[in-house]
Amino acid sequence: MTGPTLVVGELEEGHLADATREAVGVAQTLAGKENVLGFLAGSSARAPAAAFGRVGVAKAFVAEDPRLEGAVGAVVAHLVASVADSVGSELVIVGGSTFGRDLVAHLSVRWNAAAATGVTALVRTDAALEVRRPIFAGRATETRRLEGAHAAVAIRPHAFPSPPDATTETALTAVPVDGIPPALWVPKRTGVKPAERGAGPSLTEATIVVSGGRGVRSAENFHLIEELAASLDAAVGASRAVTDAGWRPDSYQVGQTGKAVSPQLYVAVGISGAIQHLAGMISSRVIVAINTDSTAPIFKVADYGIVGDLFQVVPALTQEIRRARGR
Amino acid sequence: MEIVVCVKPVPDAETRLRVATDGTTLDPEGVKFVLAGYDESAVEQALLLKEATPGSKVHVIAAGPSPRTEEVLRASLALGCDLATWVETPPGLASDPISAARALARAIRAVPHDLVLCGKNAGDDEAGVVAGALAELLSVPDFSAVLDLRWDAAATRLRFQRWTETGTETWEAPLPCVVALQRAWNDPRIAKLPAILKSRKLPIAKVPIDPAPPVAGTSRPVKFELPPARTGAKILEFKTPEEAAQKLVKVLKEEAKVFP
Repeated sequence: MTGPTLVVGELEEGHLADATREAVGVAQTLAGKENVLGFLAGSSARAPAAAFGRVGVAKAFVAEDPRLEGAVGAVVAHLVASVADSVGSELVIVGGSTFGRDLVAHLSVRWNAAAATGVTALVRTDAALEVRRPIFAGRATETRRLEGAHAAVAIRPHAFPSPPDATTETALTAVPVDGIPPALWVPKRTGVKPAERGAGPSLTEATIVVSGGRGVRSAENFHLIEELAASLDAAVGASRAVTDAGWRPDSYQVGQTGKAVSPQLYVAVGISGAIQHLAGMISSRVIVAINTDSTAPIFKVADYGIVGDLFQVVPALTQEIRRARGR
Repeated sequence: MEIVVCVKPVPDAETRLRVATDGTTLDPEGVKFVLAGYDESAVEQALLLKEATPGSKVHVIAAGPSPRTEEVLRASLALGCDLATWVETPPGLASDPISAARALARAIRAVPHDLVLCGKNAGDDEAGVVAGALAELLSVPDFSAVLDLRWDAAATRLRFQRWTETGTETWEAPLPCVVALQRAWNDPRIAKLPAILKSRKLPIAKVPIDPAPPVAGTSRPVKFELPPARTGAKILEFKTPEEAAQKLVKVLKEEAKVFP
């Protein structure tokens, strides 16, 4: 593969997402800084696309059209495939969000690309590109060889660092939004409801996450988890038992069917550690578990454990952390 | 409504994973294969739609090796699917999700399909790309991470919500389309014994391996690794909650170096 690497950006609240910055970093390591091009599509994409310069990308393609607001994955794949062909790119990298996974799926057919999602390492061997990716809910890792002329890769969120800040001026090239099959414009997004989330940083971006589980026993008791999180400036998460019971909204859920997080520190309070939950947090750097049941599976994956009653331990811990941080 | 639901056999969640002798894949010896969790919800969703829409049929389709693929098709028939098709996949490419999507698309094109339902991903490879690839292959729109789904017959529109990293979206779309379900929001039914016995005698249509070599990019597994066994948590001994708190703050500061 010799052509430039194309990084497809994603907007989050009108800004270039962290996942996009991470994808740029991966592309720069693999292809060299001058060999990375950006791409961004949206109803208002020109202004945020300039932020590619802050991670050192000197050239970006921009598709701006009101219809692109919430467009289906196939629409963006059409635009990306034509840009990739026009610049002779052989590799497209995207952040590992729902959007990124969809894009890779579409490019695999539209652009005849070998596809990989959830990637935690990407290397070029003599023969081909190879990716590493956790599988079986983090219980195993596979290495796959991507064969063929094109590859599309979605990286796992937070598995790679963001590149250092740069002050590159990004030259923008407009991409015409035409040639899309009319049927793809027919489905309509009729509403958007922002996720309800706890105070403090967002779950997927926080460096510390404190999660509560069934052991918290009620919605009313959940403030114990939130106070502990606040003392650490952490995001608040929950196990599926909590969101299924309606103690906190679904957007709090960490796990295979919720969010995947990989913070520096993950504190699991009153969480037994079902495989379902472990899948969403196993890649955290340091794991602390607080649970009354010493045989809970969470203690097998945790680094530090406190076997005790969370209703006693958590308030004491919150107070000790506040004291240690001079608050 | 003609509903197609795509399913995949995956190792049961309790399976103890072992590396195959060639080091590239999971050792399938002694592994019990079951319907993938999200696929189970997709089958349930298909059956709910069929029950709510008179004159509908559910056709379950799976691509993969024998005998595990036939087994999950029979399990789906026992749950109430009307027809089943098994598509063979080329050896060596069985684990490439895009090759699986191409195999599924060959079978789907040959049968009526208003709605194609898939699970979000399968719990083994967690690729989550089959639905999007199918949509391209069938030239219809697709929607991922769908939370709930209903058919508005008067408006001839599907209405649904989908999950994204930043919130929940509401959509409406005409048929045909491909839908990937985000999670087991429904409570999948359990097959009854007479239905299980009956399903053993029901026919399964077979679509042979595509003799043409793949024209597009593919991926092959070259290594399968298990993480080193976790040694288990260092359990902090304490007499009072205050002592537990002090000990934890100390190790987070001095040993783990993650105290903010």
